[in-house]
Amino acid sequence: MPQHIKRLIGAFAVVIILFLVLQSFLRPTSFGKLGHYRADAIQENKMKALHFAGSDKCTKCHEEMKTDKEVGFHAQLQCEACHGPGLKHAMYADKFKDGELPDSLLLHKPGSRKECAVCHQLNAARVKIVFDTINNSMIKQIDPMKHNLVDKRNFAKLVCIECHNPHQP
Amino acid sequence: MTQHIQHLYEVLSKVDGYVYPNEIELNWSILIVLYPYITGLVAGAFILASLERIFKLHVLRPTYGIALLTALSFMLVATMPLVSHLGKPQRAYEIMVTPHLSSAMAIFGFVYLWYLMVVLLLEIWFDYRRDMIIWAGETTGLKRFLYRAFSLWSTDISPKAVALDNKLGYIVTIIGVPSAFLLHGYVGFIFGSIKANPWWSTVLMPVIFLFSAIVSGIALVMLVYIVITSIRKLKIDMPCVDTIASYLFYILLIDFVLEGLDQIHRIYIAEESFDVLHNLVFGRLFFTLFIMQGLIGTVIPLLTLGTLQFYKPKIQIRKAIYTVIAALILIGIFFMRWNVVIGGQLFSKSFYGYTSFKIGLIGTEGYLMAAFWLIVPFIILSFLLWLFPPWKKKEDDHEIQVG
Repeated sequence: MPQHIKRLIGAFAVVIILFLVLQSFLRPTSFGKLGHYRADAIQENKMKALHFAGSDKCTKCHEEMKTDKEVGFHAQLQCEACHGPGLKHAMYADKFKDGELPDSLLLHKPGSRKECAVCHQLNAARVKIVFDTINNSMIKQIDPMKHNLVDKRNFAKLVCIECHNPHQP
Repeated sequence: MTQHIQHLYEVLSKVDGYVYPNEIELNWSILIVLYPYITGLVAGAFILASLERIFKLHVLRPTYGIALLTALSFMLVATMPLVSHLGKPQRAYEIMVTPHLSSAMAIFGFVYLWYLMVVLLLEIWFDYRRDMIIWAGETTGLKRFLYRAFSLWSTDISPKAVALDNKLGYIVTIIGVPSAFLLHGYVGFIFGSIKANPWWSTVLMPVIFLFSAIVSGIALVMLVYIVITSIRKLKIDMPCVDTIASYLFYILLIDFVLEGLDQIHRIYIAEESFDVLHNLVFGRLFFTLFIMQGLIGTVIPLLTLGTLQFYKPKIQIRKAIYTVIAALILIGIFFMRWNVVIGGQLFSKSFYGYTSFKIGLIGTEGYLMAAFWLIVPFIILSFLLWLFPPWKKKEDDHEIQVG
């Protein structure tokens, strides 16, 4: 084999070996253990701070809400979807007496037109979405600017929860 | 909250009808337009070079070396628009070290490497090795070192070794033509395989991309050749440019027909996406599709080049026409990529609405960034032409062919 072809093959071999060496260094150690991803990523994600408690934790103390909610349209809605993340509240609230809860542990009580409209705002694109597959019902939609206004100059005056029970709307 | 709502109103002012929330802002911007454009220039320039080599079209000889070096200069930059588009460019190498075999984009890295390493570099190396050794003896300093290093410190320029180089170079070219087809067909495949997008999802996409790539590559080499001969104040090899122009005409014609077929097919089958696409091409894409790509990039060049097949004006006039037409074709193909990439994101996949696209001058996705990645290949090309001037090569190279 001529000298220059040998050198050419040698150069290619060097490039390929260099690539393989770099690959072995750059490839994360836990890569491929469980699949085509870094297995350590699971552990890293587990270490992230939690914020949500889940309905089961809420209904341990707030049982009356559970019975209320069970029969209404909001039965499948998670408490924290409206009240916000409540893990801290669930963990420490029982350490305080009623009415003495510090602000940092208080949860949000929604009910204004703005907040309910997040789901119930009239939206042409949402008409066909069947929300409740059991009853085949859809999310009720209203125009919060026109729906049942007491004072037409101030649309926010009459808040939704004055007429609707949010746990059993 | 108020901030978010203000931003929402601002982005919603760009929207007509109903679009999904993740469709309001375009994720693929001008840099993603550049990527198929530059890759296409590479494939096209290489195919022009291989016409000379494989089909022994010696009339194209003056452009052979220029075409190869042009292909290499653009190839070196082809992935750069993609990398600079990434939010985390420092992670770009990960696609190579942990490639997923089911990802079209991950495999593109290897298609690219194959083409760069096994086809382009090898062909240029076999073509220039003898000259590099000769030039190393005639020069000093850095240039001499570069020649020596690039020729891997080989010294054998016996007729036997050179004949072997030619033979191997010929084989590489034969492998190179399907590889060039693969490279750019693959770019079309990446778009054509996105079945959720009716503007992209057509099996014709790889073929259309390929032919438009050949068109743009040939136009670029023709333009570069004309510019280089005027800079060097040499007489232009008119039979060569005429031949290139005639190829350009035929391939542009095929490209035009293929794209026409694709559109006729869409119009005739009129799938559920038809209305949204119809409004798209007559609305937001009208200027870039009908004026820039259709009229300026296709119809005017086709008519002009077609006329020149029968009627040949004076050399100076022909040269001027070819220069303008090559530039028009390059602009037209750029807008073809634009219409594919940007057009495919302007309508909602709900088929009920449209968003708009506005591009800034500065910023990582602006005009200046795009211009930068279009200028860099020309800087590389100037360097390569300085280091490996094709016109200083010893002639009768490819005469000693296989057999």
